[in-house]
Amino acid sequence: MRRPSWRVESAPAVGGVGGSRALAYVPDDGGFALYNDYAEGVSVLSTAASRPEDEPAVFWRADRDRVRPHTLAPATEIDGYGIFTFPYGPISMGVPESGRFDVRTYGERVLGLVPVGGFKSRRIRDAVVGRPVVDAALLVERMAGNFSAAHVSAFLAAAESAEAKEVPTAEYWVRGLAQELQRIYNHLHLIARVAEAASQNVGLAQTHALAEEVLRVQAEFFGHRWLFGALIPGGPARRLAPADRHGLSERLGHLAEEFERLWLLFLESRTFIDRIQSTCPVARSEAIRWGAVGPTLRASGVAWDDRLRIPVPPYDDLFVPLPQESGGDALARVTVRAEEIRASFLILEQILDRWAAAGTENEPAGTPVAPGRGIGRVEAPSGDLVYDVRVTAGKVDALQLRSPSRANWPVFAAGMRDAVFTDFHFALESFGFAFAETDG
Amino acid sequence: MIVVASWLEQSMTRGILTSRYPKEAASDDEVPPTGRPPLPVGGPAPGPRARDSCPVGAISDTEVDQGKCIRCARCVAAGLTFTGPVEAATRSRSDLMRLSDGPAPSPGSPPPLASLGRSLHVFLVDVGSCNACNLEVLALANPYYDAQRLGIFFTNSPRHADVLLVVGVPTPEMVEPLRRAYEALPGPKAVVAVGACPISGGAFAGVRDLAPSLEGIVPVDVFLPGCPPPPVAILDALLKLNGRDRAARGGR
Repeated sequence: MRRPSWRVESAPAVGGVGGSRALAYVPDDGGFALYNDYAEGVSVLSTAASRPEDEPAVFWRADRDRVRPHTLAPATEIDGYGIFTFPYGPISMGVPESGRFDVRTYGERVLGLVPVGGFKSRRIRDAVVGRPVVDAALLVERMAGNFSAAHVSAFLAAAESAEAKEVPTAEYWVRGLAQELQRIYNHLHLIARVAEAASQNVGLAQTHALAEEVLRVQAEFFGHRWLFGALIPGGPARRLAPADRHGLSERLGHLAEEFERLWLLFLESRTFIDRIQSTCPVARSEAIRWGAVGPTLRASGVAWDDRLRIPVPPYDDLFVPLPQESGGDALARVTVRAEEIRASFLILEQILDRWAAAGTENEPAGTPVAPGRGIGRVEAPSGDLVYDVRVTAGKVDALQLRSPSRANWPVFAAGMRDAVFTDFHFALESFGFAFAETDG
Repeated sequence: MIVVASWLEQSMTRGILTSRYPKEAASDDEVPPTGRPPLPVGGPAPGPRARDSCPVGAISDTEVDQGKCIRCARCVAAGLTFTGPVEAATRSRSDLMRLSDGPAPSPGSPPPLASLGRSLHVFLVDVGSCNACNLEVLALANPYYDAQRLGIFFTNSPRHADVLLVVGVPTPEMVEPLRRAYEALPGPKAVVAVGACPISGGAFAGVRDLAPSLEGIVPVDVFLPGCPPPPVAILDALLKLNGRDRAARGGR
């Protein structure tokens, strides 16, 4: 299997942001930065020490995130007669998570919006220090319960690469299955939330029911509705014998059929389409400038998916479709997600086929960045997820991450400029944010 | 018109999905393998091997503290099984240690709050969760659980609610917002601690800065263990508030 490799440069390419390059990651100490070069289709790992502070993509330097609560997008300097800041949150029913939005407005139009995070910070980055990798993983999977498979996969990939450990191939198949199942759940949940905002109530109920069925499949085959404990080496919750895999394949077939029927109905529903079309538009240049990732980036016309560009096993050996839209609005984001549900069913089928045919050899994990330090990157449901882990003698020394939600907050803020209040929920839900993984 | 017909057809084809709970016992589909409290097999004492397998210290030599359990299943190899009652919510913290005796509340446990009436208006407050509990609470609105059929409604403001469902481990940033949300609730009011996090810190127990439990911040009326608790268990916890739960109806 092919290993991910990053081109390493000694000096950062300054001035690239806004063109076809986006800064992906700046860890606490400024040691490394990852850039995605969309024109060349490569990911560049370079030192970020000399990175200028005022470059837009760098304003989220992790050290500032240590102050709680903290802003997640640049402040808006709009002033005038009757303009005030309306704080929405941290407790509100519209957003079922704790986080605040500071909205600059004169009453109807959103002149500017700043998401404020840090309310949910459970100090995971500090709490894992000194714990063995398998125990730290219990906290990492709770970074965001609905994205647990992606978080644990990235964390384990980083830790294994830091320790240059050998990993059984079956372990990779399980991670692939778990990640794709959870992607399907999250995309369905997102479509349900958007349908709710658009008052498409039958669609909401039907999609919500389908999402529940995915959770039940996860519970049946991985022992837990949210896959907690299922990917941790030696985790007892999982049970995926060949007979189970056959059963899983059958259940997936039914789910895929149900989804096809449902999505066609959504596409025919004018009330649904009308309300998300041209809502919260993000142009290609804006998406790159603010470092958008995942379906948000692909909906703005950039063909980038970690599963294709920097694949970790098992994705290096699979056919991964790359849905793409150019509209950049909520409709484009929802369409990309729907297409990705189909893609995920296809990937799941491939994994189950290959696994049945494969042997059980051991694989060396990727090469460490430095002794005891590894980087793990996976395509989480909402986009590129990066873990930077340092391990000494089987225990975690330091952990940094850049979550897809963290990357996409400024994109949401940019897209909401000049929108109206009623657009807020369609817009927010179409990105698939989690304050939980933002705050860590 | 065609579109309306096809949505109708979709609903008809799918049929009624709604659970029979609490009229009938929860089915295996509704309760995941890790949805029940773990109990020692063949005796009340878990023993030292089980104690050492637990990463959060929920297991002592003599008892299992369900309020701490994060359902990681590591104790399964040491002789525990997930066979406790789905209806694991209790009215007092100490009852969470006695779940092996069955779902009956201890003699000192407070009675249901008759003052709340039959219908509950519920407001969700997240004080630092991983989102799994939030989504399990939201799942109560899906056709499978349909909490509205039991007179449970979600409100858009704490001022319209009877019950605060609190999820997550209280972070210092959320303590004050939580207090204010609680004060905004008109009386009579109740608080349900959903999941291991608000009860004991759960997976985050002992992490610096975080509150050890919800109890020191607002009074808690129902303790619901789990990580996260499955939706039927959340229904049960809510129904226990006004005495309409499965045990009170005589179903066992």
